[in-house]
Amino acid sequence: MSLDGVVRRAFETALSPEDVISDPVRCRSYECDGLTGYRVIPQLVLLPRDAAQVAAAVRVCHEHGVPFVARGAGTGLSGGALPVADGVVISLARLKRVLEVDPVDRRAVVEPGVTNLEITAAAAPHGLYYAPDPSSQQVCTIGGNVAENSGGAHCLKYGFTTNHVLSCEVVLPDGDRVTLGSDTGEQAGPDLRGVFVGSEGTLGITTKITVRLLRTPETVRTLLADFPSIAAAGEVVSDIVAAGIVPAAVEMMDTLAIEAAEEAVHAGYTVGVPAALVVELDGPTEECDVQFEQVKQICDRHGCTRLHIAGSPEERAKIWKGRKAAFAAVGRISPDYFVQDGVVPRTRLAEVLDRIAGMGTDAGLRVANVFHAGDGNLHPLVLYSAAAGETERAEKLSGEIAELCVELGGSLSGEHGIGTDKACSMPKMFGADDLAVMARVRTAFDPRGLCNPGKVLPTPRLCGERPGKYRPHPLEEAGVIERL
Amino acid sequence: MSTRTTLRPTDLRSLRDAVLDTAGTIGIAGAGTAAGWAGTLAQVDAVLDTTGLTGVITHNPGDMTVSLRAGTPLRQLQEELAPHGQHLSFDAARVADGATVGGLIATADAGPAALVFGSMRDLVIGVTIVLADGTVARSGGHVIKNVAGYDLAKLLHGSYGTLGVLAEVVLRLHPMPKRTATLAIHCSLGEAAEHAATVLGGPYEPAAMEWISDGTLLIRIEGTEEALDARLQRLRTALGTGELLDPEPPSDERRVRRIGTDESAARRNEAWGRHASLVRGAPGLATMRIGVRPSRLPDVLADLPTETVTAGLGTGVATVSLPPDAVEATHARVHAAGGTSVLRSRPPQVDVPAWGPPPSAIAVLRAVKAELDPQGRFGPGRFDDWM
Ligand SMILES: Cc1cc2nc3c(=O)[nH]c(=O)nc-3n(C[C@H](O)[C@H](O)[C@H](O)COP(=O)(O)OP(=O)(O)OC[C@H]3O[C@@H](n4cnc5c(N)ncnc54)[C@H](O)[C@@H]3O)c2cc1C
Ligand SMILES: Cc1cc2nc3c(=O)[nH]c(=O)nc-3n(C[C@H](O)[C@H](O)[C@H](O)COP(=O)(O)OP(=O)(O)OC[C@H]3O[C@@H](n4cnc5c(N)ncnc54)[C@H](O)[C@@H]3O)c2cc1C
Repeated sequence: MSLDGVVRRAFETALSPEDVISDPVRCRSYECDGLTGYRVIPQLVLLPRDAAQVAAAVRVCHEHGVPFVARGAGTGLSGGALPVADGVVISLARLKRVLEVDPVDRRAVVEPGVTNLEITAAAAPHGLYYAPDPSSQQVCTIGGNVAENSGGAHCLKYGFTTNHVLSCEVVLPDGDRVTLGSDTGEQAGPDLRGVFVGSEGTLGITTKITVRLLRTPETVRTLLADFPSIAAAGEVVSDIVAAGIVPAAVEMMDTLAIEAAEEAVHAGYTVGVPAALVVELDGPTEECDVQFEQVKQICDRHGCTRLHIAGSPEERAKIWKGRKAAFAAVGRISPDYFVQDGVVPRTRLAEVLDRIAGMGTDAGLRVANVFHAGDGNLHPLVLYSAAAGETERAEKLSGEIAELCVELGGSLSGEHGIGTDKACSMPKMFGADDLAVMARVRTAFDPRGLCNPGKVLPTPRLCGERPGKYRPHPLEEAGVIERL
Repeated sequence: MSTRTTLRPTDLRSLRDAVLDTAGTIGIAGAGTAAGWAGTLAQVDAVLDTTGLTGVITHNPGDMTVSLRAGTPLRQLQEELAPHGQHLSFDAARVADGATVGGLIATADAGPAALVFGSMRDLVIGVTIVLADGTVARSGGHVIKNVAGYDLAKLLHGSYGTLGVLAEVVLRLHPMPKRTATLAIHCSLGEAAEHAATVLGGPYEPAAMEWISDGTLLIRIEGTEEALDARLQRLRTALGTGELLDPEPPSDERRVRRIGTDESAARRNEAWGRHASLVRGAPGLATMRIGVRPSRLPDVLADLPTETVTAGLGTGVATVSLPPDAVEATHARVHAAGGTSVLRSRPPQVDVPAWGPPPSAIAVLRAVKAELDPQGRFGPGRFDDWM
């Protein structure tokens, strides 16, 4: 089906003709997000220049029953921005103004196409920053972050996108423009802003976002520690927590991940050790100094074989570079790999890693692990060779790992979202009634079901299809962003 | 007045049955500490008392999460957590009065600790709710990082018993600070705002900062045994003033004795106790909760005929007592400043508007209500005149 002339002209009137792309070749640039295994070419791609045009475009969709999908930078890893074949993509890429940075009230008002890092860049001259830091932060947009409730390495201490968004202006699926949330954490009535954050583009399009800014910490201290086993490293994490210390970040890597990262960036990791931890503390200098000593002692107690403390900002950056390069670097030790995103309660990390290793052995495949240990968010990388015909086995193993996380009391996704990728796994985590109530909430926002249909909640059509293979995002290949 | 049924379920199943087996309208009641807040509950056919739904279901100290039944008084939970050196970082005044976890979420309440930890919305990671048609639904879970599905806890946060009954909740916990100290400065609101700018503009990381209308700015600092004194000293030097209020007995010994609640800390510490009592309101007056951009708060407060004030200078959230006939104008003033307001306690029989002008998204709110409770069974009157 193609959108007929009337509808297309309506979009051209709502925007301007040159901002409505219909050329299939150009539309093809929007056929997928970072989950490149699913591809659908949309009928039209709309490039509004401001919120009023977004609203006008959505109103046309509403009047003519056209499904629409919002798109930020397209870095999503769960197929959230996957187009609908008979619908349009509304790109927010041109709404990229930082409208206000208020150093007194420590907040910024930005348009959705502003990148995560641009917010911090705008805040930095005032000694402030925007806390949630997905590793795609150089490219991903705040609109996409709001939709995905994005996280990052520092979310253990500072919370997720939902804890930092005060309000958002939203174009509802009928084209109305409303504000969800308020100027403060205080709210009058149910927290619709909180429902919108993390709704993966299914409840409307946000066109303006007010975020909290935090004061840049006075001191940051980072260490890299090697351990004789994953279990020992896991015990360190538990003991840090038990000591009442909330680190800014705790990241863990296993042998395979370390090997890959070191080969790629020579960050000074020890090749061959079973596990390494990156622990970062931040805050007032006096506190950091005290707690850093405690962390060092805890590491020693668990048989740390090497403890490297970043002595300068450059050394700190190097440690993080190794950590952040691990994903892309795995490409050096395997022709293909799937990246998974599941969560388990922190205390079950050793158990889940053990079981993943066993499942890998059974499947005859290697699994590399590099993850946010502090909040139990795993990113197992299932290594395989498509040429050797291992794709199907690897895909199955990857899916089983996500479902194992649920079995152990965790979640199907910690930060990449459900999107198209895992909608069919949702019944593993939620009952029919749970999903039906979520569907009722969705209907309240979008009675006609035009807003990013088919994502998050399972549909029979979607679940008949098979998930696609992981490929690196073009921006990763180009070395612009790294995956965490 | 017709005879009212009181339903007092003790588990999820009997809660569901209670909702299903009752016809007509239902008022959801916790401990009653906020019974009069927001719009006045209309005559209901039954009161669903959640105080039989108590107790911790699972506490995982290593994961710093706890799941519990929503009728559990938060005070009781804090007492159970204290021996593990953990607590819920939440200190609304009425916790001391026995407020239930469900009621605290439903009223979107918070105390001074909100400066760092936010309100219950920021601490709830999972819920089980029962809808008016008996549907039991769950969202979130037991892990702090989770983006699977819609966050129903947020929807119930601030819903005042109108969308569903919170049956079970999962909360994220934090370590109890090793030491806490408060700096008090006697000053006007205007001076307090200047001090607040200094504190927030530097590396001091206050745990709470509130001005109270007997003319005191309270700044709470939390941290390690070893570092706290140095931090306090640095803060006092930066401010050029400040009296250190009863430093607490150090750490472990305190942990044992402490009942583990921030409100018990408040009791020990008179200044915070005074803060909590002002938040509770005063007889003969109306109490309102308002929120505006922090920098606008002093001006807004200056325009109101307040009798008492507690003002979160970092959060922009204030609780004020004023004559009931000033309520309507207060809603308008706060709204004009881009803020939000809700009526809390008020003298009996006083009829003043609970809510200010409706938010722009009122149609969505009504649609959510219509989807989840199409017959309008839960909490009629709470959101008059909004829905
Ligand atoms: C290398 C790499 C590393 C990554 N690391 C992390 C990480 O550490 N943590 C993490 O959380 N994620 C990570 N991601 C995933 C991704 O970057 C995030 O999900 C990000 O928030 C997506 O932003 P985007 O602008 O690219 O959104 P898109 O991919 O364009 O869209 C994502 C979803 O948001 C919706 N959407 C976009 N804009 C709007 C809007 N204005 N209003 C409403 N809905 C909208 C879309 O419809 C879609 O459902 C990573 C991705 C890559 C490629
Ligand atoms: C036995 C009994 C008889 C009563 N009789 C009357 C009467 O005749 N007339 C009258 O006006 N009031 C009466 N009430 C009080 C009335 O029910 C309350 O005004 C109201 O329902 C809630 O106040 P609260 O006790 O829940 O306060 P809180 O526990 O502080 O709760 C505050 C708000 O949270 C909501 N809430 C509390 N717990 C939950 C939960 N688990 N899930 C969802 N929402 C929740 C409440 O509905 C309320 O809006 C009675 C209460 C009881 C226990």
